[in-house]
Amino acid sequence: MIRFTNCRQGFMAALVAVVFTCHGWAQEASIVIEDKVAGLVPIHISGYTGEVDQTLKFDLEVAGFVLVAPDKARYTLTGKNGTQVEGTLADSARRAVLARSYPGGTPRAQAHSLSDDVVQAVTGRPGIARTKLAFKHETGKRNQHNEMVSEIFVADYDGANAFQLTQDGTVSRSPAWQPGHRTLFYTSFRPGRPCIFSHDLATGARSPISNFNGMNDGAAISPDGTKIAMVLSKGGSPDIWVGNVDGSGLRQLTSTREAESSPTWSPDSRTLCFSSSEGGGTRLQLISASGGSMRPLNIGGLRGATEPDWSPDGKWIAFTRMGGGKNFEIYRVDAAGGVAERIGEGEDPSWAPNSRTLAVIRRQGNVRKLSLLDAFTKQPKDVRTISGSCGQPSWAK
Amino acid sequence: MKRLLQVGLLGLLAALAMFSAGCKTRPKNVTALPGSEARAGGTDLPAGKPLPSGGNTGNGFAGTSPGARPYNPNNTGPGVDLPPATDGIDKPIGNTPLPAGGFGEGRTEDRETLKANVVYFEYDKSAVKKSEQIKVAAVAEYLKSHPDALLTVEGNCDERGTEGYNLALGERRALAVREALLNLGVPAASVSTVSFGEARPADPAQTDAAYAKNRRAEFVLLPANAAAVR
Repeated sequence: MIRFTNCRQGFMAALVAVVFTCHGWAQEASIVIEDKVAGLVPIHISGYTGEVDQTLKFDLEVAGFVLVAPDKARYTLTGKNGTQVEGTLADSARRAVLARSYPGGTPRAQAHSLSDDVVQAVTGRPGIARTKLAFKHETGKRNQHNEMVSEIFVADYDGANAFQLTQDGTVSRSPAWQPGHRTLFYTSFRPGRPCIFSHDLATGARSPISNFNGMNDGAAISPDGTKIAMVLSKGGSPDIWVGNVDGSGLRQLTSTREAESSPTWSPDSRTLCFSSSEGGGTRLQLISASGGSMRPLNIGGLRGATEPDWSPDGKWIAFTRMGGGKNFEIYRVDAAGGVAERIGEGEDPSWAPNSRTLAVIRRQGNVRKLSLLDAFTKQPKDVRTISGSCGQPSWAK
Repeated sequence: MKRLLQVGLLGLLAALAMFSAGCKTRPKNVTALPGSEARAGGTDLPAGKPLPSGGNTGNGFAGTSPGARPYNPNNTGPGVDLPPATDGIDKPIGNTPLPAGGFGEGRTEDRETLKANVVYFEYDKSAVKKSEQIKVAAVAEYLKSHPDALLTVEGNCDERGTEGYNLALGERRALAVREALLNLGVPAASVSTVSFGEARPADPAQTDAAYAKNRRAEFVLLPANAAAVR
């Protein structure tokens, strides 16, 4: 009866009662997602209205739940919203798993808190409903240089409370959080050419980190918060460089005559994965952050891999596969290498702190939508609160 | 008449190839590739040796010689002159370091003077096509006759690639054009690069014709005397 479908791919097979850990997830809860219908957990939600109702449903669908009629539900969430949000979660045996009220804050914040508790109770892992995303946003306007103006935004993970961080009126791109800090790094053309800035979200002060001639892009801050990896072309080719977060102590990690792009750090801040192009093809490479030679990451012979992003738990590397033209697909592969698994449509993946949800961009006509993709169930959920085109999501960790 | 023009153009191209092989110092760090163009693996000819054909006298590169034709954008626009089979293979770019320190600070951008010389690329390629080399030669000619001027090469892509990939591809295109300029004798300190990825489309339409216009490198002149700029 117990069927461990594919532990390697992170699906947790179920039947409760046993505390089961996979990939070192330290679980205290004894309930895990059951592996039926590709892992979707059927839930029925009742009693809520308006923004709270929409927020709860969005949160839980992103987290791998599917909204069903009461008789099909494995869990029921009932409650109300008014001055405060209240909720009771019961399992199919009508046992209460959770019963809480959420005073204080906005109704939306209360709803996020409730859905995080539901996710924690059902999956044993923290929810992501109160996390933040940074991304690039295009208004569709062009400036005097005919550039598609893009600015850096920070928003709740569902696109609500979007705040425009830059007002440079030019190309701004490639936002990257400094883990554990309220600081964002990004590239802006404000000085007339690309420059990587570090932007303190609390004070609004920003300082240039890298403004060499040529390319200054792809900033990625090590999970320990001390180092920055960047793509610089000052050596005559786009290469990976590493320095301190203030831009000092720069060291050139790669010196290929091809182009490197999109560096991402392992959780222990010791290894970098990046994309390298050669003769029109691309592959993922690994290199020690302290130097040495690069080695290819085995992704089972898949071609066109770009934009790697290392999961916070260290297990996975998500990436975009360019399938030709505008065909982009999100894959993930074991960080030790192996056969890559297709998760869905999209590009430029960024892992959530739960190492399960990915923020991606999906092209719809000439608009690029922010979308949240669940790697377990492969369920996509578009963020509908933002108009215009988004790009390059970066999940705060 | 048309045939004569074609022969003349062939001769000019031959002359260009010869000179790019012979009348420059061979770049450091460039390893000759089997079957690659003469510029990477060619034998160094003594400067000033008469060319076998084409009628140029061989001082400097062909573009500076009397009779070199100006680039006519109506003849070699995007989508025309598909490259021969060997032309579409991207060679590694040259690894000639970019200028260090401030570049052209305080100078006024001049996008007009060289705007007829926009270099177009094949899809997902950064190699400078043979059809585009005449434009690079014209820019090199201009720079050599204006030694105080600086130049930024801007690399651009169509939208059919991920943003991360396109940023690097745009830079590779700019660097490939820069390398071609350097091979024609332009000083490395005079040329810098920038990549816009897909952020600055010449034509935002989602058609093959628009994409062809967007896969390009543009030249931004930074003249020494800002007052001379329109």
